[in-house]
Amino acid sequence: MLKKVGAVAAFAALVSVLVATTAWGSAAAPRHLSAAAAKTVKCGKKVTIGVAYPETGPAASLGAPQWDWANFAKKQWNKSHKLKLAFVRGDTQLAGANPQAVQVGHAFASNSKILAVTGPAGSQEVEDSILAYKHGGLGVVSGSATRIFLTRAEGGTARETPKGSFFRTVPNDGQQGDNVATFIHKVLKKKNVRIIDDEEAYSQGLAAQVKADLEATGATVTTDHISQQNPDYSSVVAGIPNNTQLVYIPWQVPSMAQQFFTQLRANGKKQIVMGSDGTDDPSTFKGAGSYVSGFPVDTTSPALKAFQSAHGGDPETFGLPTYTSVMVNAKAIAGACKAGHGKTTRTAIRKRLHKVTLTKTVSLLGFPVVFLGKNQGKFQGPGDMGGTAAFGIYKIQKNGTYARVG
Amino acid sequence: MSDASDTPGVPEPPPEPEAPEAEPGSRIGIDSWVAEADQRRARGRGPLGLAAWGWESAPDSTKLLAFVAIAASLPFWLLKSEGDLFNFGLFTLIFVGLGLGLQVVVGLAGLLDLGYVAFYGIGAYAYALLSSGYYGHHWPAEATLPIAMGAAVIPAAILGFAARRLLGDYLAIVTLFFAQAFLVFTNVTNPTLFGKGITGGANGIPNLDPLTFFGYKLTSTKQLYFFTLGTVVVVAAAIYLANQSRIGRAWRASREDPLAAEVMSIPVNRLKILAFIFGSAVAGLLGAIYAAVSTAAVSTNFNIGVLIILYAIVILGGFGSIAGVFVGAIVINVSFEFLEPQTDYPSFKRWLFYGLIIFVIARLKPWYRAAVILAGTVGFGFAVHAVVAAMAGHAWTTGKPISGAGWLTHWVVIPRLNHGNFDNFLYIGLVLAVMLVASLKGWWRTIALAPTLYLTALVWENVLVTSPGVTALILFGVMLIVLMAIRPQGLLGTSRVEIV
Amino acid sequence: MHHLLLFNIIDQIRALGWGGAFTLLRNGIVLGSLYSLIALGYTMVYGILKLLNFAHGDVFMIGTFMGYGVLIAFGGALAPTIPFIPLILLMFAVSMAGSGVVGVGIERFAYRPLRNAPRIAPLISALGVAFFLENSAQLLTNSAHELYNGYALGGKNGNFGPLLNPVFTIDQVPVTVIMVIVVLTAIALMAALVLIVYRTKLGKAMRATSFDREAASMMGIDTDRVISMTFFIGSVLAGAAGVMYGLYIGDAYFFIGFLFGLKAFTAAVVGGIGSLPGAMLGGVLIGVVEAFATGYAGGQWSEIVVFGILILFLLVRPTGLLGSPAIQKV
Repeated sequence: MLKKVGAVAAFAALVSVLVATTAWGSAAAPRHLSAAAAKTVKCGKKVTIGVAYPETGPAASLGAPQWDWANFAKKQWNKSHKLKLAFVRGDTQLAGANPQAVQVGHAFASNSKILAVTGPAGSQEVEDSILAYKHGGLGVVSGSATRIFLTRAEGGTARETPKGSFFRTVPNDGQQGDNVATFIHKVLKKKNVRIIDDEEAYSQGLAAQVKADLEATGATVTTDHISQQNPDYSSVVAGIPNNTQLVYIPWQVPSMAQQFFTQLRANGKKQIVMGSDGTDDPSTFKGAGSYVSGFPVDTTSPALKAFQSAHGGDPETFGLPTYTSVMVNAKAIAGACKAGHGKTTRTAIRKRLHKVTLTKTVSLLGFPVVFLGKNQGKFQGPGDMGGTAAFGIYKIQKNGTYARVG
Repeated sequence: MSDASDTPGVPEPPPEPEAPEAEPGSRIGIDSWVAEADQRRARGRGPLGLAAWGWESAPDSTKLLAFVAIAASLPFWLLKSEGDLFNFGLFTLIFVGLGLGLQVVVGLAGLLDLGYVAFYGIGAYAYALLSSGYYGHHWPAEATLPIAMGAAVIPAAILGFAARRLLGDYLAIVTLFFAQAFLVFTNVTNPTLFGKGITGGANGIPNLDPLTFFGYKLTSTKQLYFFTLGTVVVVAAAIYLANQSRIGRAWRASREDPLAAEVMSIPVNRLKILAFIFGSAVAGLLGAIYAAVSTAAVSTNFNIGVLIILYAIVILGGFGSIAGVFVGAIVINVSFEFLEPQTDYPSFKRWLFYGLIIFVIARLKPWYRAAVILAGTVGFGFAVHAVVAAMAGHAWTTGKPISGAGWLTHWVVIPRLNHGNFDNFLYIGLVLAVMLVASLKGWWRTIALAPTLYLTALVWENVLVTSPGVTALILFGVMLIVLMAIRPQGLLGTSRVEIV
Repeated sequence: MHHLLLFNIIDQIRALGWGGAFTLLRNGIVLGSLYSLIALGYTMVYGILKLLNFAHGDVFMIGTFMGYGVLIAFGGALAPTIPFIPLILLMFAVSMAGSGVVGVGIERFAYRPLRNAPRIAPLISALGVAFFLENSAQLLTNSAHELYNGYALGGKNGNFGPLLNPVFTIDQVPVTVIMVIVVLTAIALMAALVLIVYRTKLGKAMRATSFDREAASMMGIDTDRVISMTFFIGSVLAGAAGVMYGLYIGDAYFFIGFLFGLKAFTAAVVGGIGSLPGAMLGGVLIGVVEAFATGYAGGQWSEIVVFGILILFLLVRPTGLLGSPAIQKV
């Protein structure tokens, strides 16, 4: 009995000590920005960028090319600049084993070496971690987070990132979805469309946009879903109604699109298949007569060719915006270092990000990079690229090459 | 190994500690606690033994107090940086809390609940729906935390009631599917309610409010850390008291033998449901805290991977041991975080890696065996380096290690050129070599160890350091296998006699 | 929209007609055959060790990569350097043997040291093995999705090859060569397994060991060897399933083992874990249910339906279809 009373007393004492410490800890704690944000750092010869991408977990096949492209950007930049780039990487495990995006955010924010961030890859990861980055004074430049609401408040949904902390070097779902829907409606003139998403944030966003746009034109839209982890599509194929004219598959993995196409044809179905930028990979997705949306890249660019020859001739471009993102960060850091005469702060770099412009040749995307300061059109907001940034539509030829048609 | 048998009948007062281990396979029928009593007494030598003895004989409240004292001081010396405090401190505490809830269900009541993460997720979504702009409710935490617990408890009670008659593995399967169904429901099904998908689909629900108690906001990492510490202490104390009470004894009784417990008029089914409720309430609470900490509720954060980590924590720490959960969570989370690529200490990781190898070798007996292996490894390395340089050419040996020490370049072969498939053969070769070493005995093992160790260094420098995230998971897997092989009852668990 | 699910399903059943129903049945049986083969590995190991071998799905995954490795070594499906029939046979041989060895290795190094440990310890070891296999595969394959492109085997210029030729059609629904191969191979392997288990000395030893390991070892049965053989046979079946998965479905990826293994495991449970015919029946059942749920209710429901049925089923009949009710020893 006495023991129990002792235990309870000790316990009560503990709790009160904790409450006191919590209150005290809060009084001493900074409110919005950590000290790292305004801390002056010497640029020296080497500056560090954090690269957050899914290195492990089910989405690792998307992270690997992003890392390759980031490294390629580093190599290109270091060739021609005195201020060299170095990377610290963070494994965000999109849909992976533990809640890592937010942990990477905090690790980067408190690593004073890191001056800018490329990534995180997924929109939900950005949502998860953007406050940690902001708190550390860092701006993030993502090459694949395409959710509209990250940069734009629309239809009752608030903007999901603080202004000036999030940028992306990829057109958002609204832009891509609009392009695709217009092409289906105006050029292909299809009235009965099936949209199959792959249960990921990227795919759901595009699917919703294309569906809304097509329904507005009076087309009939049916939907289905596949899981990235369940690659038997035979029954999804069987479920496609016979009067469907076109199947839109905004997926992230090109090999899945190729498999889907094969299974569709093997089951004697004749529908046109239309993929997204995630399936834009001529070495894998070769379904003749299909369409994909993709960056209007200049295939004759020496940088692009150098990448292709360094990676077994694989012209994969899903990871390409990560290259652009590294270039944007590098330019912002170099500019801030120059302005501060060899010294700078994270805040100074972050504030520079929206002023960074890249020419068409440097961005590699097929269009120049200019960031918007305010809303533009139906979907773009501050942090999105303005100007001519948009996807092109490509048709897959009999020999497997892609030809631009829209 | 055979030293113990050299002194069979010496009448010295301290009994031989090896005696009970002579026949590890046939412990059935022997009360292991009695059998190991001598061993326990023999431990109390040297400073380490003294510390262990002090720890074991301290009352539990003192232990908890010691933990809190250390944990509360951490932000001021070891975890000064905010990122470290967040990743090493706060997340360890969250894992401790989750592990405690799971320990009640698995360790105390003996129910193999694989749906635990779903309750964690339900707590997070409850918080997200009530404390964010998503539906425009900004309820304070003193209201949402209990609601989150309640939201997790109700499905747990229903599931527990429905599954009350299922035995061991079948319960595991039913709960596993519950967890999987929860994931699909939140990620894909996402039914519309009040004009919006209730779970936000794959994007989840972003922009959650910080924890707000009576108008007082917890925003900094330090505040969250202390708040979570307090929560964990409260949870641990509650579980401790429950475990010492009649309920706890009944849980253990029905875990050991449900049939006998039933005969003794213990309401086994009701206790099972109670354990379920207890565990899921803790999970729901931690889920709400986690949601507030990460400012978003996203369904993939509650998948089977998290469950595996939690099980690893509970079992590594010791089945049924509350203190074990703390140890397990610290070991697993700290080692995980430390191995992750974002923890930017490449040269430190290198030293740890080689240090660990040397430590293992140094423990070999007799000493000259260790010396032979060490010399052999070093010599073997230089020999291989020379041979490769002579046979394959300059380009194969002049690469630089990814970071740090340059002395390695003359010992480890690091090619300067891209060597694609070569890496794969090295890795597979290493796995095979380790298996070979593990199955060899005596001097054969010593001889095989040197090239294997060199191969390990080779693979580490050429393959593993280039993908730290993957390496972390591989090492995690190996750690689980090795730890289970060495100490199947967990670090702080007591080995139980299996009744056949 | 979701509350109209029932009406959607009825519409879809009408829209697809009998042809659609046959197609789904066909898809389900083929997929289910693969589940069955993997489920056998789960059920055999469970029967003999009472261990949920979580790593078994990953042995299957390794099998798909081994088959792919052979395929690539001989030029790949689009430009094979040897005729396709021996190539396929070689893929089977290598993958089955390789997976078998992997299985034996897993047993030897991860599970054997835990023979007398509490039952939950090997479960954690199994998780460790799963982590190890998955991430090793990721490291070795550089996280790439590798396509078999099995459709092109034997075809010209990347067109559909003989594997996709119809063997027969029901109501205009073709049943192709590869589908027949998958189902017949699965049946043949299961028949061989049944022969081994019920007609050979090894099988007798296996049954004895699974009934009572201690007593079996007292009768002079080398139980370690028997357990090793059990893992070998189970993994060989998983390896065969891996190659057929590659040829029929096509995408080798380090993460496929998890969900596919989970479903196969479901099949083992539905059939009654520990029972061989149960695993076969359960596999086909899960495959068919999944196919119909996907085709009629949509892909987002397939898993919920499969798992929901399973939960209800287990609550009503906890020992599975063909499992014998466990007698509690006192």
